Amino acid sequence: MFIFQNIIIMLDSAFNIDCGYLEGLVRGFRNGILRQHDYLNLVQCESLDDLKLHLQSTDYGSFLANEASPLQVSVIDDKLREKLVIEFQHMRNHAVEPLATFMDYITYGYMIDNIVLLITGALHQRPISELMPKCHPLGTFDQIEAINVANTSVELYNAVLVDTPLAEFFGECVSEQDLDELNIEIIRNTLYKAYLESFYNYCKNLGGPTAEVMCPILAFEADRRAFIITVNSFGTELTKEDRAKLYPTCGRLYPDGLAALARADDPENVKQVAEFYAEYRALFEGAGNNPGEKTLEDKFFEYEVKLNVNAFMHQFHCGVFYSYLRLKEQECRNIVWISECIAQKHRAKIDNYIPIL
Amino acid sequence: MGSLFRSEEVALCQLFLQSESAYTCVSELGELGLVQFRDLNPDVNAFQRKFVNEVRRCDEMERKLRYLEREIRRDAIPMQDTGDNPEAPMPREMIDLEANFEKLENELKEVNSNAEALKRNYLELTELRHILKKTQVFFDEEGHLWPWQAEAMYPPNLPPDQAPYFDDDDETINLLTDISLHQLKHIGFVAGVILRERVASFERMLWRACRGNVFLRQAQIEEPLEDPATGEQVYKSVFIIFFQGEQLKLRVKKICEGFRATMYPCPEAPADRREMAMGVKTRLDDLNTVLSQTQDHRHRVLVSAARNLRSWMLKVWKIKAIYHSLNMFNIDTIQNGLIAECWIPVPDLETVQLALRRGTEKSGSLPAILNRLSCVESPPTFHRTNKFTRAFQGLIDSYGVASYREMNPAVYTIITFPFLFAIMFGDLGHGIIMTLFGAWMVWKEKPLSVKKVDSEIWNIFFGGRYIILLMGTFSMYTGIIYNDVFSKSLNLFGSSWHVPFNESTIRDNREIMLDPKQPDQYEGTPYPIGLDPLWQLAANKINFLNSYKMKISIIFGIVHMMFGIILSLWNHRFFNRRLNVLCEFIPQVLFMSCLFVYLTLLVFIKWVNYGAGEDVPLVLTPGCAPSILITFINMVLMKGYEEAKGPNSCSAYMYDGQFYLQRMMVVVAVICVPWMLVAKPYFLYRASKQRAMLGTGGVEGAMEETPSTMPVQPAEDHDMSEILIHQGIHTIEFVLGSVSHTASYLRLWALSLAHAQLSEVLWGMVLRIGLSTAGTTGGFAMYFIFAAWATLTVVILVLMEGLSAFLHTLRLHWVEFQSKFYEGQGYAFVPFSFDSILEANESTVTEAK
Repeated sequence: MFIFQNIIIMLDSAFNIDCGYLEGLVRGFRNGILRQHDYLNLVQCESLDDLKLHLQSTDYGSFLANEASPLQVSVIDDKLREKLVIEFQHMRNHAVEPLATFMDYITYGYMIDNIVLLITGALHQRPISELMPKCHPLGTFDQIEAINVANTSVELYNAVLVDTPLAEFFGECVSEQDLDELNIEIIRNTLYKAYLESFYNYCKNLGGPTAEVMCPILAFEADRRAFIITVNSFGTELTKEDRAKLYPTCGRLYPDGLAALARADDPENVKQVAEFYAEYRALFEGAGNNPGEKTLEDKFFEYEVKLNVNAFMHQFHCGVFYSYLRLKEQECRNIVWISECIAQKHRAKIDNYIPIL
Repeated sequence: MGSLFRSEEVALCQLFLQSESAYTCVSELGELGLVQFRDLNPDVNAFQRKFVNEVRRCDEMERKLRYLEREIRRDAIPMQDTGDNPEAPMPREMIDLEANFEKLENELKEVNSNAEALKRNYLELTELRHILKKTQVFFDEEGHLWPWQAEAMYPPNLPPDQAPYFDDDDETINLLTDISLHQLKHIGFVAGVILRERVASFERMLWRACRGNVFLRQAQIEEPLEDPATGEQVYKSVFIIFFQGEQLKLRVKKICEGFRATMYPCPEAPADRREMAMGVKTRLDDLNTVLSQTQDHRHRVLVSAARNLRSWMLKVWKIKAIYHSLNMFNIDTIQNGLIAECWIPVPDLETVQLALRRGTEKSGSLPAILNRLSCVESPPTFHRTNKFTRAFQGLIDSYGVASYREMNPAVYTIITFPFLFAIMFGDLGHGIIMTLFGAWMVWKEKPLSVKKVDSEIWNIFFGGRYIILLMGTFSMYTGIIYNDVFSKSLNLFGSSWHVPFNESTIRDNREIMLDPKQPDQYEGTPYPIGLDPLWQLAANKINFLNSYKMKISIIFGIVHMMFGIILSLWNHRFFNRRLNVLCEFIPQVLFMSCLFVYLTLLVFIKWVNYGAGEDVPLVLTPGCAPSILITFINMVLMKGYEEAKGPNSCSAYMYDGQFYLQRMMVVVAVICVPWMLVAKPYFLYRASKQRAMLGTGGVEGAMEETPSTMPVQPAEDHDMSEILIHQGIHTIEFVLGSVSHTASYLRLWALSLAHAQLSEVLWGMVLRIGLSTAGTTGGFAMYFIFAAWATLTVVILVLMEGLSAFLHTLRLHWVEFQSKFYEGQGYAFVPFSFDSILEANESTVTEAK
């Protein structure tokens, strides 16, 4: 019996026993992702109502049908997010282990962002009720609104986070210091580092195609964070030692690249580090802030989209759920970008969206 | 030929509409539902079309109506569905409608926001009332801790926001109290209400954040409260938190806010609380009256809206549909008109003209012009159906919509479908059940179709009510032939067989047989209709039935397939494909006749010639009858037999000259194969070569292929290899198919056998137990056993077996029958019709619910 079970586990197709339905569902959802010709139509829109009319002919269907004209960009943004969240939550509710934990892991990232958002808001004396709508609904938890009880990170941990799944990531950033801007950024990045590493290990332990697909995606995510932390740290009070502590160690840059990044003094040094890695070199080469050039951020997004699209080439793994969420988020960003450009009649940069399929 | 046999002739027409009359004309055409518009701007985005603004206004109106509908549904006000069908309003009326909806929506929104504010107020007061009631208990319990309460020494005029906790102003009061209570000086409390499911994490959070220095009591509010924003019923709990010190107070308040708990002032003193409770009660009463008035007002608005909602919805849908159609038209900038292209069935051209005239009269502009165009592409397929033929046409269309004007198998299906079904489902009892069900649905057609049922299964059954009725009646017929009623036989006319043996003979001889030669055992004339009931008792019943049903299925199968091949002749003749008649139809018929029709002939010869009469010569006795299967196999293998030795020995041949005839037929059949394979490609090749030699003169050769009645097809460049491959596939499919399809008809026998056996098993294993139990207990047992038997009969034998027989019949029609002549490459005619648009809209609306 034991051997039999092992064989079953080894079979990829056994994945379908638990997750086949959901994988089918998510692949169906993926087919609804807007394609190049949809974007070409969207950028031709004269007004947001045109945009709404076109989206009606796509998988979005009548998701804006109950909104009164004239539309606001924020309404579109909310509705896009609401639709995505409903889809994700539907799948999460039907998921069983190990997919359930996997999908929970996806939400932890949003929790971290929400916590940081709320604490920063509280620092600037903004009422929580005003900040809550800005939080991502996938990252909410019971105690989140009481977060401003905490003045130091110890309190934050003891009072708020200890019951949440984030508690295990918090180990390293407990300190008695009062929370301030820099502190919060450090907390965010330490949390994210611990989260990414944990997620990476979880996927690795799952093994099989899930590990094959997710590890490169998470490794890229880790490396991207390392690059961005380094670039953003120039000209701040962050010391090099502190900075090195924030690098997630599950990427391809680990350990040599991270050591080199830790020594970097200016963006040129960062670029030199990327030279050693073929895929990152390509990203850094075409990037720039001049008109006509894509920013490094967009380059990273493009690469991420590519990885996530490729995830759908494999079957029988959990990575499609992560990839779907990421792709859909990118799509929401694209639509919102196009809507903003239309709403502000600023069409010069309307083509700066990142095509997915 | 009637329209049933072929799809109708459809003409491509061009329509010139004046821009003033376009709307009314299209509206008339929509009511008519006989015109399919072609999209003349397929490359134009939805939002760049001409009437996009009107469509958008319709969307907006629809949104408002949906909002109204939601509100009406929330108040459970019945919506009147008068069933009347208002005409599409004129474009100028659209503004009135819009204004009307706008007014209604605003009014409703205002009422709603008022009601919500009132409800919020009401909720707060109710919560406060609960707090006062529940905290009373807490305070009573803690009474001994708060002895100074009884003295009511606190200034009753404390403002409410300070009331819940002690302030430093209370110093003087505290001085008066017992010294032992000094440590209680700074004890304060907060009372409030929180969602019940959040209590646990709230409590934990409080404990963690305040390091255990607070004291929380909570009690549940039994009745659910209404959430004013969503209108849902939620359960809540009252809590009261005691703490010490200003620092903690801030913290506790923050946590309360974080958990969306609502805090209320709660006075310390019992007297104050009582007073407050009284105040709350009176305010609640006042609020109740105001609330009910608001509700009344809302109700009045909604009821008046509900009366017209449906007709408004229909109007908006119609306007939208019209503008969608107008968006498909070309704009004629010179004459300020619109140009449409559309498919119209030729017999309806007059009706369409009339409708157009009505449309122009309404708007009072120049008349619309309808031009018939000649077209290259093949027109859509349009079968005019009625409620009876619709279901059968649906069966055919779900395989593939017929090519334009080819033979429509649906007509023949009306009879062959229930008949083949009945062969598999032959049981009088089950047939009666099915017939009654079908007849009931047909009888109650009107009331049932008006009642809209969402259940998909029911809709399938109801859609196929005529099929079910016919299948049931045919099953009754085959049931009589098989003499099966719930697996038992009816002895209506008296069996022709008699058992002359006495009981002991039967007991001793296990293999005793009835001899048809003996007049005391067989009367000489068979049972008048169907199977003799005596077979029910025979041990070799199954053997006998198998042989009978197998032969029957092969005969019906071959007749069915031959019929299909003959229908292909009508197609070839209609489309003037002489080559196909010569190179496909004739060899196909020959092939089938030489092998399979001959097989059925053998069956009949065997049935007719061989028998067990008094004066039958030995050669024709049953014992001498040759096996048809062996004969047929030997025929194909061209193997001969030895001739019979004399008049008194059996012969392997059924008639004289059988061997030579058979050999000739096999040769003919074999010749048919290369005939089908190469003849057509060869002729085509020769024709194309001639054309090439004649140059332009060869057009006539091409015209031979395409008849003059048909629209002129673009001359195809005949690629020889493609034709060869196509013909090869076609031939192989036919030759192999004729064998496998014939065998496939054996499913008629197999399913019929399975059905008979299953019903016999059900009788034997279930009902017989009840029948064989004696006495009063038997009566009671029978009551339950009959119920079980009846349920199983309906569920398994009628529903499940019926479904399986249905699917097998469907397969026999789609594959075995239609492969002989049916192309199914067409596309359906989808006219622009308000009825179908409204139906589609309505079904999406009901789905959304």
